[in-house]
Amino acid sequence: MAAGSEAALWTLFLYAVLTVVAPPIFYIVSLLLAPAPRKKLRVKLMPFESGQAPIPTRAAPFPIEYFPYIIIYVAYAVIAVIAFIVVLDMISASQNILRGLIILIVLTFASIYASSLLPSLKQRLERGRTG
Amino acid sequence: MIDPIQLFVQFFNQLPPELQEAVRFLYSEPFIKAAIFPGALFSTLVGLFAVWFERKLFARVSLRIGPLHVGRVAGLLQLVADAVKFLSKERIIPEGVNKPLFVLMPCLALVLSLLLYAFLPFGAGWVIFPSDIGLLLFFLVAALTPVPIVLAGYASRSKYPFIGMSRMALQLFAYEIPLFLALLGVVLAAGSLNLERIVEAQLAVPFAVTQVLGFIVFMVTMLAETERLPFDIPTAEGEIVFGWQTEYSGVYFLMIQLAMFEKVLAFCFLAAIIYLGGWIGPPIPGFPETISAPFWVILKALLVFTFVALLRGVYPRLTIEKVLDLGWRYLIPLGLVNLILVASFSLAGPIIRP
Repeated sequence: MAAGSEAALWTLFLYAVLTVVAPPIFYIVSLLLAPAPRKKLRVKLMPFESGQAPIPTRAAPFPIEYFPYIIIYVAYAVIAVIAFIVVLDMISASQNILRGLIILIVLTFASIYASSLLPSLKQRLERGRTG
Repeated sequence: MIDPIQLFVQFFNQLPPELQEAVRFLYSEPFIKAAIFPGALFSTLVGLFAVWFERKLFARVSLRIGPLHVGRVAGLLQLVADAVKFLSKERIIPEGVNKPLFVLMPCLALVLSLLLYAFLPFGAGWVIFPSDIGLLLFFLVAALTPVPIVLAGYASRSKYPFIGMSRMALQLFAYEIPLFLALLGVVLAAGSLNLERIVEAQLAVPFAVTQVLGFIVFMVTMLAETERLPFDIPTAEGEIVFGWQTEYSGVYFLMIQLAMFEKVLAFCFLAAIIYLGGWIGPPIPGFPETISAPFWVILKALLVFTFVALLRGVYPRLTIEKVLDLGWRYLIPLGLVNLILVASFSLAGPIIRP
């Protein structure tokens, strides 16, 4: 079977169908085996709260403590994409390795510098907000 | 003297043509690959075996015996009993949850985890979907697997799942990029994104030896991506009850657990293929290569899984700020340094061996 041939696609399609069919099979077996839903007790349907009755509000705005880490993901995603392009460039021809290596060294030092600054990121953002 | 094969052929020819077509389809290469090996049956069985294996190993580490009674030998059928138990439980959907998401997300998690096996080669030609960008496709599906998890935590509308879900999202954000960088090291050394080419490139030395840094980064990110100890802060048992899975029970919980184990195993198979030389190993006398190749892949993957399962008995849990620190501040630079090393070796290679 060659890469990307029709037989390969057909096999992938068959496998995808089988994986999609798996959860309904579990569900049907559960329908057959599990007891019929009895009278709905309120206590049974409560969200888990370690024995306490849950506080009514379930959805509320809340502060994310590590939110800055989610923001820097954007910057690092760009680094990852650049590294991917550089690697593809280096694979395509051996004379490109040197220039790719230079870009990689720059990226590495940039990421090392960034990681030396990261612990104080939160304070910096807060200072920026107040100042 | 009657030839059984001739008898079978005679019997087969007497069948109605539709039935003959059906038998031919069941015996065709695509169906056997999709349904039996390395497809649905194999991936499900290996997932069940992994659960049993981990329970047994974890019990031995903590000086217990583990499953013993169900099934004659070493509690082998314990998992079947457990599955039946989960399937026969009442399906409880707590009040206030987002019902469609709550029900659909475990199914989606299972489908995505099983789809990972479509791109893993278990020998030359033993692959469901041979592709020149197999590694990239695997990473694509693996990058989609957190989506149902985060949505399941959101749909539960309860405190513990919510805390677990936000931790999970932060952890997966932090470890996606180091994983990608570690994979890039392999791609650069092999000069291809095709997983079969990557195995052939390790004919002399496996990449685990030539790229020690990359291998370490891959193993750590693999543990974090699959939520194994010491990175199981999203489901920290006993601390935030059961993290993002707290509200799930019965058949939904079974699907989530199966999905998580399938994902761990898929990553173990990937580690065996791209770092430990895949099916390259001494030939086994008496067996053709079509059988010995999958044997070596499975053996190496089980070794990796043994290491992963052993960590559960050995290490305590890391706090979320340690997890984030390790991911963002250490693993990303290490992944890039690994890339530099690989690139300089391939630059120096023609000079050293002219």
